[in-house]
Amino acid sequence: MLFHSFAFLVFLPAFMTFYWATTGRARLWVMLLGSLVFYAWWDWRFLFLLLFSSLVDYSIGIVMENEGDPLRRHRLVVMSVVVNLGLLGFFKYFNFFVASAAQMFTALGLHPSYNALRIVLPVGISFYVFKTMSYTIDVYRRTEQAERDLLKFTTFVVFFPELVAGPIVRASRLLPQLQHDHPFDYQRTLSGLTLVMSGYVRKVVIADTLAPLVDVRFAHPEAHSALSLLIGVYFYAFQIYCDFSGYSSIAIGVARILGFDFGINFDRPYFSRSFSEFWSRWHISLSSWLRDYLYIPLGGNRGGALATARNLMLTMTLGGLWHGASWTFVAWGVLHGVYLMLQRLLAPLNRRLRIPSVVLILLVFHLTCLGWIFFRSQSFAQAWSILRRIGEMRDMSFAGVEQKLLVLKASMLVAVLLLFEAIGFVPKRATVAEVSPARRLAFTAACLWTLLLFGTFSGNSFIYFQF
Amino acid sequence: MRRTAVWVAALIAIVFAGDRVMAVLLDGALLRSQFRFSRVYRGGNDAAIVIMGDSRGVHSFYAPAIEQLTGQRVLNLSYNSMSSRIGEAVLADYVDRNPPPRIVLIEITHLIVASDLATELRTYAHHSARLRALYAETHPRAARLGEVFRLLAYNSEFFFRAMVYLRRSDQDWINRSTITSELLATPAGDWQLAIRPESLDALERTIRTLRVRGITVRLLIAPYQAPGHITNIPEVMRTVTKRVRLPVLNYISAGGPVENFADRVHMNQRGAERFMRRLAADGVFEPH
Repeated sequence: MLFHSFAFLVFLPAFMTFYWATTGRARLWVMLLGSLVFYAWWDWRFLFLLLFSSLVDYSIGIVMENEGDPLRRHRLVVMSVVVNLGLLGFFKYFNFFVASAAQMFTALGLHPSYNALRIVLPVGISFYVFKTMSYTIDVYRRTEQAERDLLKFTTFVVFFPELVAGPIVRASRLLPQLQHDHPFDYQRTLSGLTLVMSGYVRKVVIADTLAPLVDVRFAHPEAHSALSLLIGVYFYAFQIYCDFSGYSSIAIGVARILGFDFGINFDRPYFSRSFSEFWSRWHISLSSWLRDYLYIPLGGNRGGALATARNLMLTMTLGGLWHGASWTFVAWGVLHGVYLMLQRLLAPLNRRLRIPSVVLILLVFHLTCLGWIFFRSQSFAQAWSILRRIGEMRDMSFAGVEQKLLVLKASMLVAVLLLFEAIGFVPKRATVAEVSPARRLAFTAACLWTLLLFGTFSGNSFIYFQF
Repeated sequence: MRRTAVWVAALIAIVFAGDRVMAVLLDGALLRSQFRFSRVYRGGNDAAIVIMGDSRGVHSFYAPAIEQLTGQRVLNLSYNSMSSRIGEAVLADYVDRNPPPRIVLIEITHLIVASDLATELRTYAHHSARLRALYAETHPRAARLGEVFRLLAYNSEFFFRAMVYLRRSDQDWINRSTITSELLATPAGDWQLAIRPESLDALERTIRTLRVRGITVRLLIAPYQAPGHITNIPEVMRTVTKRVRLPVLNYISAGGPVENFADRVHMNQRGAERFMRRLAADGVFEPH
């Protein structure tokens, strides 16, 4: 069920009623069963896959902890990785790899025949697979103890706020929080509500307003002027940001109300002055996962410039592939790998030139937008068409822009978002915990009025559900 | 938990109070606007010629040009995706609140349009029982929600447009671009106008309402860029004429060269001005 659906608005209060009415193991059962109901709302058949994945890693975790032989421990963690990536590979990438291989053979003059399987992508598989893999790897590294309570472990895996689209909350953060009840807390509840409301505004007001303006431009780039397409690209940058950060805010806010700390997943990424800073601010749970379980194990930046470049490219390429079974996602990942490599290469020059922060922010933003063109496009042909038309700059007048009023409205919403985020950089006198209930009341009321006045209630799904 | 319940209760009260207060303020601004529908519901218009249609009505009839040619005040009430049912409600509301015009021109190809625009006209629904009923019929759940949260009525393109046109007239809203060579190169396939039965019913009622008040009604088909590809025009004209007992003036081929069009279906300013001169010469703007 979508966070902005009627079903969720019924589910959440019902869940919270049972949650606060229970304690101890009864509460854990409520969390588990509630989360399974939440997931089954999509498609109950994939519950078995989710539970199977949980059971495999639960078992491997315990066996690995009891196992003293390093070689056998290694084999166990490899088994976990193989099972998890095997599931992900089959459901997400099977048809992609088969079609790509067929294209390659065709290019070589061979004409293999193949049947694409009608495989339905289970919602959230990219997220929960990474979550459980991180658990077994941490147990293998002995940085995490194996969880022996099956109820707690399964609840950790399926906990609904972050199950289908993140953030990827690791065992080291969530499992300790599952060891005890969290009493109801007034300040924490208000803080969580505020986060939830801001998430809804990002999704329903900003992202869903931008969506139709982006869709029409990407669907038929040849029918739009250069300026119109440029606007479409900028809008997509904010659509995907608000869509995803909005979802994360709702997930983190709901968890906070229930007493759980999920950390943060986005931290004003479009104000980054470098790509390493961007990746410390964008989808933090995924970027840190890739850093800790891919980049660093590959050697990180410890093996010299060439090895670092290889590790960066591999990590970002696979990060791109994680997002979807398409070469355009891979291209997006490769582009970010190139950006990170160039950043390292040009770091001494940057230090000498002392380029102003605002210039760096604009540069990083525009290079990010270049990547988004590939990320959003259905094909390279579509991406090239957009790039070519923008590059030709044939019609840069506002008169040539379609849907001017909607563009104006969307631009105002984006401007307000940027203003709020820029204000966020001003040092606060009060910490989050000290913000008064009255201020939270005013903010939440303002969010609700904003939703009523500017919300787009089109029932658009969240972009990251497709990953 | 008690403090949270108090906080939530305070939130609900503040949200509802703010919703009502802001709705009153926004409605005041809405009615002060020069946007065409704000003018309908504010009243006091002395237009001699009123025009109704969908986007083809917007871009085929250029009010400033008509005023210059005829010396009469003109109000174009056409809007993109305006259906005949919505047009019926708006025209009936217009004559209830404003001095009757001498002529109403109706571009009849909007008889093919469904009433999706009702969701935009909810902005004016509390000024019009007809629009309210239409909205409740087409979007019952949203209409009920709109009774609870008044601000939802102002969450529309219409309200935004009304604010853009707060101080200036929207009657010069018209295409100023020219059809592209890429579009011209795309083959224009044959197609037909599919008149909706409920639209024809609404047109009949509209004409009856206007004639009772002594208003001359003219029905016409504005130009298309490739008129030969619409294969059922004579049949459409016969159907409409037979039903409402009024002739349909056929200007489908009166658009002139391709430079007069923004796309295959809509004229641009140059084309509309030329078309207005043709209509003036034909006496369309004069009640006989």
